Amino acid sequence: MSNTFSLILLVLLGAGFAMAFIRLVIARTAGDRAVALDGATLISVDLMVLMAFLMGRSMLLDVVLVYALLSFLGVLAIARYLEGGL
Amino acid sequence: MNPDFLLGIASVAGVSMIIAAVRAIFVRDLLSAIILVGFVSLTASVLFFLMDAPDVAITEASIGAGISTVIFLWGRSKVREE
Repeated sequence: MSNTFSLILLVLLGAGFAMAFIRLVIARTAGDRAVALDGATLISVDLMVLMAFLMGRSMLLDVVLVYALLSFLGVLAIARYLEGGL
Repeated sequence: MNPDFLLGIASVAGVSMIIAAVRAIFVRDLLSAIILVGFVSLTASVLFFLMDAPDVAITEASIGAGISTVIFLWGRSKVREE
């Protein structure tokens, strides 16, 4: 992969992460924060996959797999709590 | 991989981690504080990932994102409203 292409990808993912983070900090309700946390988690999963590819180490993909599964569990628990079920 | 990329990602993750932690202290309701603590554990996992510690990053992801968010929400629903 060329160097400029990976730089463009990193800048785009960083911009998405920054927008999700700003929404997480200045949100009005807790539902906004839950959606912003979900977006930041998905973008950081992409970022970690890109870093594992650039480092050339496939062992780091296990971390991303575990994190993607467990962050879905966390967002599911928050949504269940907001509906009054938990 | 270029070390400037690693430095940029690490600085973005660290600064957002500090801001989210301070916001979690001063936020009004407890559910928003729980969500912000989940974000802090997310950035901690990214920083452990960057420091070439995949086992610590797996542990931080499973404890921080999976267990502690669910346990905090469960305790929040048990505590009566003040």
